[in-house]
This record gives sequence, structure tokens and C-alpha cells, in this order.
Amino acid sequence: MTKRRMFLRMITASLLRRRSRMLIALLSIGIGATILAGLVTIYVDVPRQMGAQFRSYGANMLILPEEGKILDSDQLAEALQKIPQDELIGATPYRYVRLDMTSRQQSFTAAGTDFTQVPKTSPYFSIEGAYPENTREVLVGKSIADTIGVKAGSTMELTYQPISLSDELTPEESRIPNATLSGSAEGFGGGVVYVSLQLDENSTIKTIEINAETQTPEYGGRASEDESYLNQFKGKTLPLTAGEDVDALSGATVTSEAVVTAINTARKTEKNVKPQTLNFTVTGILTTGGEEEEYVFLSLEDMESLTGSGQLDVAELSVSAGAEQLETYADAITQDSGSVRARLVKRVTRSEASVLEKLTALVFLVTLVVLLLTMICVSTTMMAVVSERRREIGLRKALGASGGSIRKEFLGEGLFLGLLGGVMGGILGFVFAQVVSVNVFGSSITFQPLLLPITIIVSMAIAALSCLLPIKRAVAIDPALVLKGE
Amino acid sequence: MSLLELKNVSKIYGDLKALDNVSLHVDQGEWVAIMGPSGSGKSTMMNIIGCMDKPTKGEVLLDGVDISRESSKNLTDIRRDKIGLIFQQFHMVNYLTAVENVMVSQYYHSMPDEEEALEALERVGLRERAKHLPSQLSGGEQQRVCVARALINHPELILADEPTGNLDEANENIVLDLFAQLHKEGTTLIVVTHDPEVAEAAQRTIVLEHGKVAREVINENFGK
Repeated sequence: MTKRRMFLRMITASLLRRRSRMLIALLSIGIGATILAGLVTIYVDVPRQMGAQFRSYGANMLILPEEGKILDSDQLAEALQKIPQDELIGATPYRYVRLDMTSRQQSFTAAGTDFTQVPKTSPYFSIEGAYPENTREVLVGKSIADTIGVKAGSTMELTYQPISLSDELTPEESRIPNATLSGSAEGFGGGVVYVSLQLDENSTIKTIEINAETQTPEYGGRASEDESYLNQFKGKTLPLTAGEDVDALSGATVTSEAVVTAINTARKTEKNVKPQTLNFTVTGILTTGGEEEEYVFLSLEDMESLTGSGQLDVAELSVSAGAEQLETYADAITQDSGSVRARLVKRVTRSEASVLEKLTALVFLVTLVVLLLTMICVSTTMMAVVSERRREIGLRKALGASGGSIRKEFLGEGLFLGLLGGVMGGILGFVFAQVVSVNVFGSSITFQPLLLPITIIVSMAIAALSCLLPIKRAVAIDPALVLKGE
Repeated sequence: MSLLELKNVSKIYGDLKALDNVSLHVDQGEWVAIMGPSGSGKSTMMNIIGCMDKPTKGEVLLDGVDISRESSKNLTDIRRDKIGLIFQQFHMVNYLTAVENVMVSQYYHSMPDEEEALEALERVGLRERAKHLPSQLSGGEQQRVCVARALINHPELILADEPTGNLDEANENIVLDLFAQLHKEGTTLIVVTHDPEVAEAAQRTIVLEHGKVAREVINENFGK
């Protein structure tokens, strides 16, 4: 028999035949390793999980037409080429217009969209009924449905009253006495602000109406209601200079600038185009808790039938990529195309990055504490083991064991415990992570094969480290103690 | 030819002289008993001879080497190579079987050899108990395992500390018979005891009192 085999035989005998004490040490290493492996698994998986979580709050990129340009489905398709297909979760085009429901003397914002894409970029949309699948079908926001009393299966007649812009006149030429002007400009977050002006006999502003419902209600959204803000436009001569002729609405600089741009680019309108009316069936009622509840959603085909144009206002994209990568895609889209630009929805991408950062720090801290606690526990147990085995250690030394042999034997036991604990922790840790993931994130995780060897190595290192002090004690034991007839 | 020689050895703890200027010699192959009441310096002398302690003064020659000035690492090597120890409390590793306990001694000395360890157990009449744990053996059986462990590496000197102190008479006789056999084979034996019967089995008895050699008695009846 070789020395190594005898060494292993002694170590395994020590662990197997002195079970109760070793079980405590094994348990502490095992639990430590379990938590370690679990946290690392979650840590590795969290970016994926968090990404999915954040995307469920909505799109993280917008594609908009450049000022004065038009966005249509061909340009959108071209822009989407810049994003790898496996990272593009969904791309939903939108076109917003006002539609009238003449029978109820109501008017709503209607959004033309692609219903196959909506659930991908707006997973939080909650539908009572179903998404429209055919033309002449609509999805109605909860707020509207409550007001006009429709439900899934109801029919509604919607009319598009075109406000056509006079093609012959530039904004400057439009500013004739008593003219009615309309203009629009992009405001905060890509939403469009509409203005209509009535000029008096001196070509100064007589009345102004602002539609800012695409803006944040408590900031830019006030532009349509704030009396003192609206009153300052009256009697002003066009064009206006923001900050000189008119003051900005407090807390809504972007919206205020959009209003001024819309006024300065407003052109004469003629209400002489024939209105279009179509009959729709309601397939579902939409609940979101947000402004979407005040919209009616219909297919882009129906939108084109009503307005006679296939242009788009915006496309919402959900892309599975980190903040930096998103920025790269957005830049590529904006630079390569002369007519569209991509913009990130910063709120989502930024908070994703910062939450991830905090989570990383938290996982790191918890891991550190767990490792420390494990070390204390193993060290204490080994210390108790050493004092319990004082006599045996003394005997071994009396039989000729050097300090090195004693060190080797205890280290061997420690490493063996670390190995067993690591295997146990690697397996249980995955189960632990799986349970946490299913309960917290509601999705399962994949096993990382590399995790098992890493957990084993870390727990062996921890076990070895914990043994240092107890081993020092063991080596210092005096062999003469076995001779005293105690 | 002397295997062990103590020259003017003293061991002083503060004011206490545990050993006070002791000189003695033990010849190769001799069987010597050391007797004395407790506090007479028996344990101290045993520790020094067993290379587990160093004297304050004097020289200790073991097989021609002065062990009184060696480092504790060298003392460990010398003890491992030349001395077989037997204790009053037996001291077995309680989670190893009888044969494994014998093999521990081989392990530290050179190479574990299970067959040889089993032969040593056969010699003390315990081959069939080789796979038993210490808790499954009687006191006498445990001490016999310890004798097997002490002789497995063929030491020049077997040092026994009250080897029969915890044994009944039947087992005491078995152990003493084993000592007699070892003596016949030429092994040097030093047995520390307070039992006159055990001392009488030896060739010579050295009596310690207050850290000094009080007297030496030659056993006239030895071997008869």
C-alpha cells in the first residue's frame, strides 16, 4: 500500500467514522456553497431576466421621421435592417389622427398600428376580448369604452375629417388676414403637438388651440389648458421667437419650443376635402393604466383607407440589448438614413443599467458576507475538532508525525470537506436559484455547467483557508501529553 | 555496549528539580524497569528518553547521538526511527481499525504494509480482530494492538509507560510475556512502572526518588 492510499484511507475514515462533527462542518460549507452557487447563477442570469422585465414596461427605442420628412413602412423596414434579427423583439408602427364618432358627437385620437407587433413592444397591454385580426376591427381604450358604452362585439362608425394643408402656400404666404392656420411639431418623447390658429384682420393671433395630449400630462400636457400660457399668444405677430415673444410653460421647455415651431410652420387649411366614414367592430377593450386607454386602435390598412395616406408618425421598437449597444444601433440608423432617426427611450434603458449595477453590488456584498460566515463556521468547527482530537494528534506526533504531516492531514480533511460541500452546493445552489428565479422573475434558468467546478474550487479554497488557524493549533500540540497518565 | 546513557542530567522547572543530576546507562538488549512514587521524576525521564523533552543540563546519548541538544524536528525523526512507544492509556486512533492503527506507525516511519501489520497483530494474538475499531476491543486487546504498533518498525528501544496500569492480571501476564519474547529477540526495553511485579520481570530496576536515582536492583531471578 502506498503512503497516498493510507493518507486517503485515514482521511476518509476520519470523516466517515466521526460523522456527527464532520456533518456540521460539511453542512456549513454546503450551505455556504449553495448560497454562493445560487447567487452566482442568479447574477449571471439576472441581466437576461432584468432585460425581459424592463422590456415588459415598453419599447426602448423609437424611430421617427426627420423634421420635414415622412416616415413610411419601407423606410421603417430599411431602418430595422440595422438591428440583428435575433435581438429585435418587436417593432410597432403607429400613425395618430383624430377620428369623429358622429353618432355620439365624440372625437378621439385613433392609432393605426400593426396588431401582430403590439404585444411584443407593449406586453403590459391588457385586453378584455381579443386583438383585431381583420380589417374593420378596432380595439377601444377602456376610458373611451366607458364613455360611449361599447364592449367587445359592439360596432362603431368612425369618420375622418381631413384637414388638408394648402399646398400652394408657404407658412409666410399663409399669414393673411382672418386666415385659419394649422401646424404641428415634434415635442417631448417624440409625441407630436398640434396647433390651430385663427388670425384677425391685422394678421395677428386672435385665437389659439393646442393639442398636446401626446405630452406628459403634468408638464407639457398643460399647454392646451394653461390660461396664462395660452393668453400670451394673443395679438402676437408671426413668426414668434421663443423666450422673447412668449414664455415657456414651466417644466416643459421641449413642449413649449414645439408649440412655437408648430406656430411658425403653420399653414392655411382648407376644410373642403370629403370626409371618409367606415364601420368597425370592436374586438376588445384595452386596459393599460395609461393614456392608451383614451385611444382607439385600428389596423394600418383601415387607417390608409380613411386618410388616403400610408405615412407613419413613429415606430416603437423593443430591442434585447444593453444601453451601449442600443446607442450604437440608434446612431447607425440615424446616420445611414437621411429621412429617419432613432432615439432611445432613456428612462427604460438608463434605469435598466442602474438597477443592474445596484443588483451586482448587492449580490457581491451578500456573497462576501456568506463566504465570511461560512469561513467562521468551518473554522470554529475545525477548532473544536482539533481540541477534541488533541490526544490523537499528540499520539500521531509521538509516533513520529512531523508538523508537516499533521498539517497535510488536516488540510486534506478540510479539502475533502470542501469538495463534498462544493458538489452539494453546486447542485443545491442551482435548485435554489431556480426556485428564486421562478418565484421572483417568473421564469426558469438554464444550468451553467461551469458553475459546478467553480463552486467546488471556491468551497475547497474557503475550507482550506478556514483550516489555517486550527491547523496552527494542531501543529503546536505537545506529543508528551500522551505520556501523562491522565 | 550501551544503547542509552544519561550523564548528569537535570530538568529544572523554576524552583523544582524534576531530575537532579541523574546518571545511568542501559545496554543494548537490556530490559530495565524504572520505578518510583509519583513526583519522583519518572515521567520527566520518560519524556527525555522518548525525545519529547530536553534536559536543562547534562547529556543524553541514544545510540551514540547526543539527543539533549537536537532540534525538535530532529528529535521527531530520531523517535520515529529508534523508539517504539507504549502508553498506559493505550491511545489508539479511535476511528481507525486495529490494523489501520498499526499501519499509522508504518505510515509515519516508511511505507504502510497491511500484510506486515497483520503479521504483527498475529504475534500479539489479534489477527482475527484486525478489522475491529478500538471501541470494539477490550482494554487488554487494545494494549496488545499498541504493542504490535510499537514493534512494527523494529525499533532499537521500546519505551513503555505503565503498560499494565489499566489491565487485569491475565492481560498483564500476556503483555509481560510479549515483552519477554521481544527481549529474547534482542530488543532493548525500558518499562516505567510502580507495580513491583512488573518491575520484577525486568533484568534490572532503577528506583527514582525526588529526582535522583535512589538505588538499583539486579533481579537475581531473571529468566528463571
